[in-house]
Amino acid sequence: MLLTQTIHAAVPILLAAVGEILAERSGVVNIGLEGLMLIGAFVGVLVGDVAGSGLIGVAAAWAVGLLLGLLHGAIAVYIRGDQLVAGVAMNLFGAGLVAYGIQAVWHVAGYRQTPSWALVDVNAMTVLAFAVAGAMWYILSRTRLGVAIRASGEDPEAAYSVGIDVFKIRLFSTAVGASLASLGGAYLSLAYLSVVTKDISAGRGFIALADVVFANWNPLLAIAGALIFGFFDALSYWLQIFGVARYEVTRMLPYIATLLVVAGVIGRAKPPRALGKPFRKE
Amino acid sequence: MRGFLDSLLSLAVAIAVGAVVAYISGYNPLLVYYSMFVVPFTDVVYVTSALATATPIILTGLTFALGLKAGLFNIGAEGQTYMGALGAVIASYLAASALALPLSFVIGISLAVAWAMVPALLKAYRGVNEVVSTIMMNWIAYWLVIMEASTTFSNPMQPSETIKMPPSARLTPLVPGTSLTAGFFVAVVAALLVYWLLERSVIGYELTAAGLNPVAARIAGIPQSRVVIYSFLLGGVTSGVAGVLQVAAMPPSYSLATNLANVYGLGLDGITAAMLGRGNPLGTLLAALFLGLMEEGARHMQALAMTPFEFVKMLQGIMILVIAVRMLELWRRR
Repeated sequence: MLLTQTIHAAVPILLAAVGEILAERSGVVNIGLEGLMLIGAFVGVLVGDVAGSGLIGVAAAWAVGLLLGLLHGAIAVYIRGDQLVAGVAMNLFGAGLVAYGIQAVWHVAGYRQTPSWALVDVNAMTVLAFAVAGAMWYILSRTRLGVAIRASGEDPEAAYSVGIDVFKIRLFSTAVGASLASLGGAYLSLAYLSVVTKDISAGRGFIALADVVFANWNPLLAIAGALIFGFFDALSYWLQIFGVARYEVTRMLPYIATLLVVAGVIGRAKPPRALGKPFRKE
Repeated sequence: MRGFLDSLLSLAVAIAVGAVVAYISGYNPLLVYYSMFVVPFTDVVYVTSALATATPIILTGLTFALGLKAGLFNIGAEGQTYMGALGAVIASYLAASALALPLSFVIGISLAVAWAMVPALLKAYRGVNEVVSTIMMNWIAYWLVIMEASTTFSNPMQPSETIKMPPSARLTPLVPGTSLTAGFFVAVVAALLVYWLLERSVIGYELTAAGLNPVAARIAGIPQSRVVIYSFLLGGVTSGVAGVLQVAAMPPSYSLATNLANVYGLGLDGITAAMLGRGNPLGTLLAALFLGLMEEGARHMQALAMTPFEFVKMLQGIMILVIAVRMLELWRRR
């Protein structure tokens, strides 16, 4: 039981972390994962409810994440705007939009149960998430596309000089990366928690950022990191059920664990060299 | 001046996008903006309420501005404000007299600074990214303060809030019938002090130098660790004061809600204020006043246009997104 709960709790963090690894490997930072996750959770339930199908909800959440990722990518790559500020803006916008949207659509304050016809199988999405992580590792480390993505993040000038379109690579890596965070949000609302609230992501977008560093920008290691965080998430509910500690105490566990883990692994982690630096043609 | 124009531009874009969103969701955009931007000026009670709303946002905005100046993304004002408020509640528990007020500031600021020091030390000595560590500290504070507020310090007469500030220790409204207390002037003075500190003092010089070019600053004998610690320490103080005031200067309840309603989201509002104010303490002050006005307006919008309060938060997110596009030249030279 604890094992399956750990795996299920790891999924949203894994999806967001793998997406962020893709974006950062191409050279773009997106700290707006939390906002994207929230928006994905909301859009998933909204569209799933109206369309009467959870799968359509998942697809819609993914597509909205992709669009918002294109926006972030365009700001980061073409306008050379501030990536951190844009990420914070995405978090603020997501928090506002979802709290507003839940009230505007369902006329309830901050909490909406996902209708049964919009639910999606937890295990199917879990398998999908782990498959995405594996595929991302393969693409990044074993394909020509992966070389182009990594080159854009390490040394964009050199990449550009050998004919790689650094702009396009970064734009699409950012967009696909953001879409995975949004997908993680849809998993929360349509499969794992079957509810959407105005703070359903509960810091998972930032835990995913920590996982990226922990994984040293490697999607396979991100699985290990997500499982560690998932374990503490699951453990906190177990301790609560068995009355070991007050639930407020157990709910702190994933955050404390995240702090300890990032404090412990820093130093050996090595970010892509051109991370966060806008590229301009000579 | 360019910064101010950028902020106006971002407001215009947010209003335009917001009008579309409001219209799609079935609200009248004209009524929404009328109640948000015009109604607050129609009564002195509304104006003072806007100033009271701006008070904590000025202080948490300073926290983020102090970080930004040093090239740091300190998102920790949220949790530090919770800790400041908890400090005021603890002081009310310990002292039943006017002594509770100074004690509130001592305990509240100490707790908030302690909360800020964890990410500061992790950044200075372990290189931990401050965005992740401050958010984790926010969530730990969230659950810690909720637990304390609903157990040790809960009000037996009113389970939804903590014990109240002793009457003699409260900062009461300056004009009866309004919510404007001396807390507002505390926040304004804090903004002036931080401005002076950043522009005229050695610490401010070191923070600014490290923010502009950390490598050059280190060579000039300004260690990054000192910069991080000063920046977070001062930021902890202003957020701590924000938390204390949300209890000590908060009529009519003078307590902390057990769901943290009177401190929740203030750190995020501060980030918005500091970004709109371009990281300048006086700009942050102006921006926070504007945000206070918007949020007071949002309360009227709720009543008159039946639009959910959080509409205003969405507008703020859009404003910052527009600013991200232009903010490049300003501080991004690290």
